[in-house]
Amino acid sequence: MEREIAAIVGEAHVGPQELTSAQLEINGVAPGLVAAPASAQEAAAVVRVAAERNLVVAPAGGFTKQDIGGVPERIDILLRTHRMNTVETYDPGDLTVSVNAGITFAEMQNKRAEHQQWLPYDAAKLSQATVGGLLATAATGPLKHAFGGLRDFCIGVQFVTAEGKVAKGGGRVVKNVAGYDLMKLIIGSYGSLAIITQANFKVFPKPRQTETFICNFSSLAEAIQFRERFFKSPLTPICLEIISPYAPEYLNDPQPAKDPDHYTPSQPVKQAANTWQIALRAAGSDNVLARYRRDLGAAVARELQGADEEQFWRWVSHFEYNVLAKHRNAMVMYTHLTIQGVAPAIHGLEKAAPDYNFIPAVLGRAATGSLVIAFIPLSVDPPSAMQYANCVSGFRALLPPGSSAEVAHCPKEAKLHFDVWGTTPTDVAMMQAVKRAADPKNIFNRGRFIV
Amino acid sequence: MDSSIIRALKKIVGAEAVLDRPEELMLYEYDGGVEKSRPGAVVFPQSAQHVSEIMRLASATKTPVVPRGAGTGLSGGAIARKEAIMLAMARMNKILEIDVENQRAVVQPGVVNLEVTNAAAKFGYYYAPDPSSQKACTIGGNVAENSGGPHTLAMGVTVNHVTGLEVVLPDGKIVEFGGKSQDSCGLDLAGFFVGSEGTMGVATKITVKLIKLPEAVATLLAIYNSVEDAANTVVAITQSGVTPAALEMLDGFMVRCVEENVHAGYPMDAAAVLLIELEGMKETVEEQAEIVSAVCTKAKAREVRRAKTEQERQLLWLGRKTAFGAVGRAAPAYYTQDGVIPRTKVPATLAEIERISQKYGLIIGNVFHAGDGNLHPLILFDSRDPKQTEDTHKAGNEIMETCIRFGGSITGEHGVGLEKKNFMPQIFTEDDLEFMIRLRNAYNPDSILNPQKMIPEMRFCREITGPLPKAKVEPVSGVPV
Repeated sequence: MEREIAAIVGEAHVGPQELTSAQLEINGVAPGLVAAPASAQEAAAVVRVAAERNLVVAPAGGFTKQDIGGVPERIDILLRTHRMNTVETYDPGDLTVSVNAGITFAEMQNKRAEHQQWLPYDAAKLSQATVGGLLATAATGPLKHAFGGLRDFCIGVQFVTAEGKVAKGGGRVVKNVAGYDLMKLIIGSYGSLAIITQANFKVFPKPRQTETFICNFSSLAEAIQFRERFFKSPLTPICLEIISPYAPEYLNDPQPAKDPDHYTPSQPVKQAANTWQIALRAAGSDNVLARYRRDLGAAVARELQGADEEQFWRWVSHFEYNVLAKHRNAMVMYTHLTIQGVAPAIHGLEKAAPDYNFIPAVLGRAATGSLVIAFIPLSVDPPSAMQYANCVSGFRALLPPGSSAEVAHCPKEAKLHFDVWGTTPTDVAMMQAVKRAADPKNIFNRGRFIV
Repeated sequence: MDSSIIRALKKIVGAEAVLDRPEELMLYEYDGGVEKSRPGAVVFPQSAQHVSEIMRLASATKTPVVPRGAGTGLSGGAIARKEAIMLAMARMNKILEIDVENQRAVVQPGVVNLEVTNAAAKFGYYYAPDPSSQKACTIGGNVAENSGGPHTLAMGVTVNHVTGLEVVLPDGKIVEFGGKSQDSCGLDLAGFFVGSEGTMGVATKITVKLIKLPEAVATLLAIYNSVEDAANTVVAITQSGVTPAALEMLDGFMVRCVEENVHAGYPMDAAAVLLIELEGMKETVEEQAEIVSAVCTKAKAREVRRAKTEQERQLLWLGRKTAFGAVGRAAPAYYTQDGVIPRTKVPATLAEIERISQKYGLIIGNVFHAGDGNLHPLILFDSRDPKQTEDTHKAGNEIMETCIRFGGSITGEHGVGLEKKNFMPQIFTEDDLEFMIRLRNAYNPDSILNPQKMIPEMRFCREITGPLPKAKVEPVSGVPV
């Protein structure tokens, strides 16, 4: 099998390359073989080899989110996309771009910046994460507030099917209803239906300036009241982020923990500092920003501009990674809530986390219900595997109906004790039927996703 | 249609909710497109339970079912052949909930698009997708077609505004996809369903986003002495850093039709106009209005007007949204297309359409979503004249081929339906279509739901790829295309 794959991608592109075996492991499972095809056709040929032999294939981009999901049943071939890393077409006048899936997001974005254009997207680790990986995991950041997720501006996708064929959906124009919207299906499918090899996006004019207003509140209730008042105002910020009292501890440049198993705050965290923040990022001319200043008035505690502002939002995007850098045993969950579900979910978190000896730190999109929740273990009492499981089910039980919350990161040992994906309002039997249709032999990411 | 099926339908929904007399069925033999075919029966379910029972009956008897909203579709998506049950959703027309706090509305599929906005406006919200037919078309139909409209340039199309669906699958099972939250764990089956043209299931409850009404709106009318200058302005505006809420173009012929119809103050002698709308905070709108006016002037607009009153603004939009109907003054019939091209190709495509118009001696009016590059050329013809009808189809095909050649798509918002099904192989490979068919079969394995729509016949794929796992050949006899 190795020889066959080497014949497809070339001897030099089989094997771990620059990566250590620890970097290649997914939740402790080492791949049997690593292959890096140079094109969608080569990737398809590799998948054909796998399909014939019923081998399990796991796609890999920048390895920023590989630990999400269940422990893989096995990985026979880790298919790396990093050699498919070029821009296919970009015409600034059309405001569209087409790239191969292995390009890092930052590289794609930098090429847009020359034309004062951007994809309004700020998930974490964009200089490492690939476009394919971000699509597969439907990763988001604070800009989701105004612009939605990648699903809202991905206009076409090319992928390798489980049969080893190259297929596509959508196209290169901004409005297109020809055929099924395969972009919606494949974005967020965590590599379980197909391997993304190319994607087309619509891009937008980039705001010439932005400013961030940070408002402090002495309780969650006050912060939520402010949000409700803001909904009635004409202001249209591009980000609206809620930040819990413990979260700012992780809004800084990552510092390596002295001992990753131990909670090592730069200063001891005291319950006393019970400040909730709402960070509101506005884009527009001086006049527009003046209007924000005027309308927000005394609520604003701090204003950020320029490099400070950029850094602040980068820290917000990287929150979960900063938590994980400091606490190897921390758990991170992503929530999907209604707007009014945000406050009850945070109350639920504040109840469930201490019950299982976790400190809760949360931030996220106050108006879209996408929260990033960190459960930080107390250093005095390293949690047992069952503690994670119980905490997750305790927290999920307190979520309002219709919500869902997946565990994005937690120690792999704990994953055996609960379902990282949890329940979802979407019919799971239908999801499984779709998975069977797309990948009948279940060769893509077996055991990792909800289907 | 088999009388036992009619009896069974009457048992499910009541005799008054089933139509089967020819004179009743005549009203359901067409939609907004050009195809015609009379269904075997029309049934009006009033609940998801009804739809489920009808689907179970249809599955058991292998009777095709074609869902229909208001019948305003332009691609023949709601055309049913004589063996088929037409599932008319018009009586499932209740707004179930306006949930202001969560910025959502929950509606039945038969609710008219504009009714959602009307119900939400008193709370300061609206439903953004606004097809020209928004006074008649239904949310269920919008979901099936992933409908757009002028204001989707900034706000996105239907799929960007639907968060949850209750769907009846062809086997009668009632399932939920998503809900009121913006997204949820697992596959995005709500997003995938939107635009599936009634081939995956029947939506019986739809949750949509409500958007805050903008503080300020400015509507500009830029007037041109040449189509080319107007087309070039479109490119210049998108490069200026402003994304208008809407950016529409009407050529001189359409301007005159529209003005005679609504008297909105469109200039009768213009070669083209751009209707540009800017929305948002007062300060933003004022600044953008200045930038856009300057761009238009620089691009040789002879005049840039701004609507001074809300009434004037509404009148300009009434003109735009009734433009298709307005050509009724000029010809007995029209055939509209929905091609999309990259924005920079707008000038070249319009030139090509002009050439095609002259080649066939047919008047082709252009009224379209210029900002998206979504064209709606209207080919005027007399349907009583077979030669003209044939030429109209030929001209339409040439326009579609032009769009494909320029790297575009065959449909931006009207859907593939029956009309454009045979163009699918020009933009999708066999492998692409085969993948789509596999997915459709996961939902609709016997293809009893809206058969022969959107994706070309199975034999097209079968010849090349051989039999598929679980693949079923679609019923052979069908509506002539």
